[in-house]
Amino acid sequence: MAQRLQPVDVVVFGVGMVGSIVAKELAAAGHKVVGLERGAPRFTVPDFQGPAVHDELRFDIRKALMQDNTREAVTFRNKSSETGLPIRRWESFLPGTGLGGSHVHWNGQTYRFHAKDFELATAARERYGDKFLDADIRVQDWGVTYADLEPHYDRFEYLLGTSGKAGNLKGQIQAGGDPFESPRARDYPTPPQKEPYHGAIFRKAATDLGYHPFPQPSSNLSQPYTNPEGVKLNACVFCGFCERYACEHYAKSVPQTIILPVLLKNKNFELRTGCQVQRINLDSTKKKATGVTYIDAAGREFEQPASMVVLCGFALNNVRMLLLSGIGKPYDPSTEKGTVGRNYAYQTMSTVAAFFEQDKNINPFMASGASGTLINDFASENFDHSGLGFLGGAFVGAVNTNGRPIQYHPVPPDTPKWGAGWKRAVAEHYNHTVMLSLHGSSIAQKQNYLDLDPTYKDAWGQPLLRMTFDFPPNDLKMAAYVTSKAVEIGKAMGAKQVVGNPRKGPYTTQQYQTTHNTGGTVMGSDPSTSVVNRYLQSWDVPNLFVIGASNFPQNASWNPTGTIGALTYWAIDAMKNKYLKHPDKLVHA
Amino acid sequence: MKTTRFAASVAACGFALSASIAFAADVPPAGDATRGAEIAATCQGCHGAHGEGIATASGPRIAGQTASYLVAQLQAYADGARTNPVMTAIAKGLDDQKKADAAAFFAAQSPPFAAPATHPNDAQLVRGKTLVRVGDESKQLQACANCHGPDGSGERFATPYLAGQSAAYIASAIGEWKAGTRRSGEALMGGVASRLDDNDIAAVSAYLESLGAIGD
Repeated sequence: MAQRLQPVDVVVFGVGMVGSIVAKELAAAGHKVVGLERGAPRFTVPDFQGPAVHDELRFDIRKALMQDNTREAVTFRNKSSETGLPIRRWESFLPGTGLGGSHVHWNGQTYRFHAKDFELATAARERYGDKFLDADIRVQDWGVTYADLEPHYDRFEYLLGTSGKAGNLKGQIQAGGDPFESPRARDYPTPPQKEPYHGAIFRKAATDLGYHPFPQPSSNLSQPYTNPEGVKLNACVFCGFCERYACEHYAKSVPQTIILPVLLKNKNFELRTGCQVQRINLDSTKKKATGVTYIDAAGREFEQPASMVVLCGFALNNVRMLLLSGIGKPYDPSTEKGTVGRNYAYQTMSTVAAFFEQDKNINPFMASGASGTLINDFASENFDHSGLGFLGGAFVGAVNTNGRPIQYHPVPPDTPKWGAGWKRAVAEHYNHTVMLSLHGSSIAQKQNYLDLDPTYKDAWGQPLLRMTFDFPPNDLKMAAYVTSKAVEIGKAMGAKQVVGNPRKGPYTTQQYQTTHNTGGTVMGSDPSTSVVNRYLQSWDVPNLFVIGASNFPQNASWNPTGTIGALTYWAIDAMKNKYLKHPDKLVHA
Repeated sequence: MKTTRFAASVAACGFALSASIAFAADVPPAGDATRGAEIAATCQGCHGAHGEGIATASGPRIAGQTASYLVAQLQAYADGARTNPVMTAIAKGLDDQKKADAAAFFAAQSPPFAAPATHPNDAQLVRGKTLVRVGDESKQLQACANCHGPDGSGERFATPYLAGQSAAYIASAIGEWKAGTRRSGEALMGGVASRLDDNDIAAVSAYLESLGAIGD
């Protein structure tokens, strides 16, 4: 029997990046906020300190910072005719857990999506006509525009202190930045990070070919920074341990270094860790949330009543929480009815390996998670897709983040897989290889979706989330096309051997690609194709907001964090200035 | 690098080219420890004959620091990023070859550590050890060991060892960053120094000085 606790104004599900920001803003506005985090509390000191934090076996191979999939896994299948099985080792994507969430182990790559990404369905129809796309594709507009989000992107970047170079200031193209970016009101808060050698070689080759290289926007900071919350960050030292690791230097922008010190001082906020939320509770009308039920680390069940619930979890967990709570109609791919779990998308990652002679010392270990150089010439709607037969694109860059000894050993494809020949090749190529990344968009397709698994349950007896996903042909065509362009760049860089690896199907969960899982609680202006309205308010339960990459109708050519941050401030603005003044539906459809 | 070089994108190609040429020219000359021994005669009044340091002369221990670190410090004094009435004049008088030679000499020395000049109490040693090994979350201070190696034993090649360094020197170096008068290393040490109060500086300096045996 659940113990009923004192009611509060707001319950925040998941105290990661989104949850920390939402809680901070609402607590500062005078609301009583409880943050429920399933993982452990953790801070830069003592939890992230050296030398233990550079343990590659513990963090990279054994995934110490990730969701415990012996207690809570995700089941996977490529298509509906198959039986989903639990993912027992995270490989393809790495959902984090604990205070600060997945943001703690991110790389710091902080992009904005481009204006046309938010109106992709409209833009593609206008440019290419109605019959351009495969029949199975379900591309749609976001219901929000880049202009709506620009001030919120700005606020998020200044919270993080992101290091970069503007390419478009209020419509004026800026030399050295990305000329394709949509206009920004002001430059990044800090200048770009120093460019490693691989970025310099890429820059020259890309420029020679007529492309437009620019420095990767990095939230591993180029210089000390004090953010608008008054929290101070240090400069990055290029240790090469960002993604999959926490930063020991207070140099990577994560909740612990940008906002938690402020949030945790606010008496309106209470953090509860080790709390596994079981469901959002509804009243008898099923149109109002009354709070949540959770189980703490000691196995005790509590009901936390609240006037408002905000889901701030990782994309997959937001979707699962709605399904477990019976909120909204689950998506059915055979009828295309229902919206929860619809438009699950990912990211289409390809690589190009450029192997150089022994006189080019790349020193790959000297990098941060976002100190690369890249081009957007083949991203998004930045090039004409007429005759290409696909929508979307990829950024191409020398964005290598590390040279860590266990995981980083690029070798040409004809190398033996083990033994003396393999060892020789590793020694020969380790310091003389540049890996180019192609970070590709992912389009929504009617067959790809998320629902509850009919068989497998978590440690608390609740059904696991089931993922049904394979790469749409559209995205594989895109990967092949952009890879051919990246191979040309690799050759222009002067490499003696260039090997393109365009992403090929079927999708496998056993090879790392990216943790950019999107969709499932899509935002939009039509309740029949979206779960939340343009303010991220549930269509079905107006005192419930859902924020995260789960809002993306389809995924664009860049890392999602910047856009999640912008959506977070956008939704908070609507909560504070609209909803909390008159708690009701913000959009009537 | 990247922060200063955004010309028009057409010029970026020229930049990359000139950068690689400049890189070749930037390779410091190889130091010769034998020639360096002659230059070292100038240094011994403050740093000791083998770079062991002379606390009463405010000369830090420089023996066994990496040559690249020592060259970088001489360069910083020469170009004004670090200032010191004595060292500025000396560094300006050494060309690149002589800087490298002197650095090579001191990098190769390993004289015994002097007895600690400060006598911290137990509370100071505990506080110093905590800052060196763990840091202090309440001040957003990371452990010194993250960059300076376990117990300040050094992290080749850019980051100096601190174990056994004179407490007075460590305190004065932190003080320079805190006052904003030292620009070399400021991006990394400036923030750290600004969050250390006088008690912290005394504790961390004394603890590091007490670790001389680690360097032996």
